Amino acid sequence: MRVRLLGLGLAAVVFAGTAACDEDLSTLAGPTPNLEPTFSSIQNEIFNTTDSSGRLACINCHNAAGAPFNGLNLTSAVSYGNLVGVASRGRPTVLRVAPGAPEDSYLVHKLDGRPSIVGTRMPRGTGPFLTAGQITIIRRWIELGAQNN
Amino acid sequence: MLLRVLLLLIVFAVALAPRAAEAQEPAAAPAVTVQVEREDTDADLNLSQPDFMVVTLPTTLRLPRFKSAFRVTHRFTRPLGQGDFGNLAEDFFGLDTGAVIGLEYRFGLARGWQAGIYRTSDRTIELFTQYNLWGQANRLIGLSVIASIDGTDNFTESYSPTLGAVISRELGTWGALYLEPIWVNNTNPLPSEVVDDNDTFMVGIGARIRIRPTLYLVGEVIPGTGFKPGVSHGTFGFEKRLGGHTFQANFSNGVGSTMGQIARGGIGDDNWYLGFSISRKFF
Repeated sequence: MRVRLLGLGLAAVVFAGTAACDEDLSTLAGPTPNLEPTFSSIQNEIFNTTDSSGRLACINCHNAAGAPFNGLNLTSAVSYGNLVGVASRGRPTVLRVAPGAPEDSYLVHKLDGRPSIVGTRMPRGTGPFLTAGQITIIRRWIELGAQNN
Repeated sequence: MLLRVLLLLIVFAVALAPRAAEAQEPAAAPAVTVQVEREDTDADLNLSQPDFMVVTLPTTLRLPRFKSAFRVTHRFTRPLGQGDFGNLAEDFFGLDTGAVIGLEYRFGLARGWQAGIYRTSDRTIELFTQYNLWGQANRLIGLSVIASIDGTDNFTESYSPTLGAVISRELGTWGALYLEPIWVNNTNPLPSEVVDDNDTFMVGIGARIRIRPTLYLVGEVIPGTGFKPGVSHGTFGFEKRLGGHTFQANFSNGVGSTMGQIARGGIGDDNWYLGFSISRKFF
């Protein structure tokens, strides 16, 4: 009986320990440890902020003051309306962000630097670019419906 | 004469008195101990379940208390279907290539309760325990519960805990069939915030069939749901029992052998890999 209780107790410990086993999102997010798959977080951590790797904030170029690159203003007040469900200028048949479909979203293509993009990989220049982890989190936001959250 | 008889009786009484006293109290203990030892059949050879594993799935074989067993596993990383037969023969059927090697040690903590450690050369360490709720002696099936946790990079990253049950049905001395519902948590290497599935529920189906007095066929297929980027793990092989040793040669559609690795699935049904396992019981 005591052995059974010990065994069940051990199983319970393992079961309880599962909550602590998940990988840390901040590790995946790398140079932007607070990045989460929400629009507000992406706005703050990616569009607005130059991160610790030296990757430039998007709004350095994509802003209302300068000439918005390819008509894409990513400043806080207007960025969501300029991204989600809006056709890209480079490839008008592809949406900048297609809710639920990261593979069909031009934003992801530009961040990945895929051969199909018009122009250069973003952020412009020779890098640093977004890490695979950062792009994974942005993809997840799109996958979850690209909500304005 | 009467005095002599009385004296003899007193001498016998004195001589036997301690033994009589022991027989009432402490002497009962050795008698019980002997009886318990006779009932403890865990060390007996079980022809249907000669080993603690089928290939990657556990059996319901009990490890005697305070006894232990050791196992070494090899999974050669060369797909057998790569190139033509000549290429395969040049690589000596995969033996010339690298392998994922695993070392396992298990120990009987109490009657029916065992625990162990298994490390593979990809630096995954698995800690496991198994408790046998009942054997098949008076029931239709044998049943064990299992719990384990494996962690990559020498148990410093990506922990995948496992809970499951092992249901066995012995076929006389002809082998045994297994059904093993197993849940593995945190199988996806990405954080749960960015993935749909971070668990895998799988049902291991296994068999060991005794085709000769000491020769067995073994096989497993482990379909699952949840996070499983690979195909359902499958393996088959043959096994030779020799005293306390078991030698097994197997063919698998992947090189995984811990619960977390199995949950993620095999590499592909077009790729089969040669492997072998050697186990040794220390009792």
